[in-house]
Amino acid sequence: MESAPTIPSRTATIRAWKESGGGIAAVLPIHYPRALLRAFGLLPVEVWGPPRVDPAPGAAHLQPYVCSIVGNALSFLLKDGLDVADVIVVPHACDSLQGLGSLLLDFVRPRQPVFPLYLPRGRRESDRQFLADECRALYGKLAAITGRAPSEEELLESIRREEEADGLLAELHHRRRALSLTDLAFYRLVRAREYLPAEEFSALARSVLDTPPADPRTGIPILLSGIVPEPMALLDAINEMGGTVVADDLACCGRRLYPPGVSGDPFRRMAERILDGPPDPTRGSPITERLQHLVRTARETGARGVVFYDVKFCEPELFDLPLLRRGLQEAGLPSVHVEVDLNDPLSGQTLTRIEAFLEMVAGQTEEARR
Amino acid sequence: MNPVNALRYHWNVNVLGPAVLRLQRWQAERRPARWDTRYLAPPLRIAPRTKELVARHWLAGRYANGYRKVAWVTSGAPVELLKALDFYVLYPENHAAICGTARLAVDIASEAESAGYSRDLCSYARTDIGAALSGKTPVGRLPKPDVLFACTNICQTVLFWYRVLAEYFGAPLVLIDTPFVYTEEAAGHAVRYVRRQLEEAVPVLERIAGKRLDERKLRQVGLLSKRASELWLEILQRCRHRPAPISVFDQFIQMAPIVEMRGDPETVDFYAALLKEVDERIAAGVGAVKNERKRVLWDNLPIWYRLRYLAEFLARHGVAVVASTYTNAWGELAPLIDPDDLWESMARTYIYPILNRGTGHKLKTMRQMVEEYGLDGAILHSDRSCKPYSIGQMDQRDRLIRELGVPALLLEADHNDYRVFAEEQVATRLAAFVEMLG
Ligand code: SF4
Ligand code: SF4
Repeated sequence: MESAPTIPSRTATIRAWKESGGGIAAVLPIHYPRALLRAFGLLPVEVWGPPRVDPAPGAAHLQPYVCSIVGNALSFLLKDGLDVADVIVVPHACDSLQGLGSLLLDFVRPRQPVFPLYLPRGRRESDRQFLADECRALYGKLAAITGRAPSEEELLESIRREEEADGLLAELHHRRRALSLTDLAFYRLVRAREYLPAEEFSALARSVLDTPPADPRTGIPILLSGIVPEPMALLDAINEMGGTVVADDLACCGRRLYPPGVSGDPFRRMAERILDGPPDPTRGSPITERLQHLVRTARETGARGVVFYDVKFCEPELFDLPLLRRGLQEAGLPSVHVEVDLNDPLSGQTLTRIEAFLEMVAGQTEEARR
Repeated sequence: MNPVNALRYHWNVNVLGPAVLRLQRWQAERRPARWDTRYLAPPLRIAPRTKELVARHWLAGRYANGYRKVAWVTSGAPVELLKALDFYVLYPENHAAICGTARLAVDIASEAESAGYSRDLCSYARTDIGAALSGKTPVGRLPKPDVLFACTNICQTVLFWYRVLAEYFGAPLVLIDTPFVYTEEAAGHAVRYVRRQLEEAVPVLERIAGKRLDERKLRQVGLLSKRASELWLEILQRCRHRPAPISVFDQFIQMAPIVEMRGDPETVDFYAALLKEVDERIAAGVGAVKNERKRVLWDNLPIWYRLRYLAEFLARHGVAVVASTYTNAWGELAPLIDPDDLWESMARTYIYPILNRGTGHKLKTMRQMVEEYGLDGAILHSDRSCKPYSIGQMDQRDRLIRELGVPALLLEADHNDYRVFAEEQVATRLAAFVEMLG
């Protein structure tokens, strides 16, 4: 079934962008206005960890009870992994990312400017206004360091480019079962949105979407929830164990399928897009809303169970988990919860639990058929 | 309001309860000290009154449903709005601390853990969710909330936690989101945002309370709140005196009213009386630690289930813990409250708690305390389940050692979960720290 597209690597993309005179913005999880950075000629390159770095440098600043997304990001930075960046953006999502942003500003002080971005926790009018103001304030800071001042039209143009890429990203998610890609190849493709320029991502997405549909993928259909599917070998392992990921509620993927904005004011439109995205605990979405979203997504995609694949010590995920699992169970959707540290290899124990879960789901499906 | 409920409330809270509590206070005043008075001063005379005041507050909560509207609120929330609307205000964090001090927190938190709440979550949250699920509490009974009022100025955890409560109780959640202040000054649009939310919260709260907000009453509550906070700050600042009249462990116990009864006239009277007693101690040359040789700072939450152990251990070595970033948090913002410009000053006051400010600001506060209180060292409680307070401590400790030359200890524990308190390791580390103090 595999006809994976060739995806430019992160390193090659960064090099090419720099050679063309552009700058790089290293961006931490989760939500931020891509279009704003691009309007200043900065390519957002996201830092979700990364996995498997030497954790020692970060451990000199952070206690062991802080999640590995944050610990690894700091270690990576201290090991010069972010040297290529011209600016570091730290969106606010949780106490740990808040702490990291503050540490960078007050103690670590990398050579690049560090810009935190506060994310409001509601969808009220005051939240929209605030986030628009926050984007406007970031515009001011970027203008000060780049000496540029993109016009309103340029900002809107940049937004439209991102909206197009996000539309195609959503289409990929929507049609994933009919694409001739394994789960690993699919996630390599959609996660390229984390570093490819929007127009390149759009071209890549179009080429995949234009490929004639393959036979729908088989396997026990599951929905994957959590922060990030790392190590990505997990995805091959799921396929080998007879499962197939038909939908996700991952912070790095499904929770960032932002709808197009409507406002003619660019800052307002950036805020709208982020706040109107799918439910997310770090944006304060009520648990019921998350549950309804999961159940609806499972129904639409045929997922028969949910794998909660969480990063250890992640409060936003852990607080919602019991009620989500109970609600899913009541809706006839079994679930399993596993926690990982980004520095650990894919453990046998994790795989065994997922395998046992897939077997249980398969058994239930079989029983229901009889 | 149901007249039977009103009668029940009045009888229990205003007649029978106070009589019983007065008797208990009378008995407590005659009981011998429980903490080791060979090294520590005798207990504060006011201590039984503190207990009575706090117990009365929880007693009112027990009978509140059906008589008064109940709000569950976070410790740093702009409670003045709720007080002015006559809500009974319950602080789950304080309740969890009571459970922690009574060593019931783990048993109650286990109820939440059995329901799937991870042991990595804030132990206050686990204790509180456990209490909500099981009804277990040392205060008799917790009233159900009519509204949940969460302010993110202490952490984001409260938002995740209150979303859970909103589901369990089916109660509306009113959020006051306070953007984190990374730099010295909060951005203008952040303060505007907080103010807008305060104003937007009013009609929601009015609807639940069934009454209109009276601006005069709000101003009065604001004044009382400011006065109590000022008195609290004065009490803390008296610890600049040598020997310090009270220790941080005393402060931890005496802080309950400033957290949960801010805005009440009794709280002002209470702290005025405490200040008087503290001044009497100073006049009589009484120190909280009998042989005060060294003075240190405490950073982060208390270790509620080991207050006595820590106080006695340190006092035995002549070490007095005299200042704390934690207790200071309920006093340091007093000057910002302006009853004549309440809305704007509330927005400013509630965006600036130490926990909503950067790691560098906390270091600055600690540095200032080291100078103003003449401190010889610092204990930074690295609190496993409170990340917002703990992240940054490793750098803060290094800077205190490097820049101020004071020994600083990072003490691994948890504010409410005694399962992570390694007694032997703590004793060894504390002993080494005391040795370094000289
Ligand atoms: S994994 Fe969870 S705790 Fe860690 S940065 Fe992401 S949201 Fe925050
Ligand atoms: S103990 Fe820490 S994490 Fe828990 S509610 Fe308080 S500030 Fe938040």
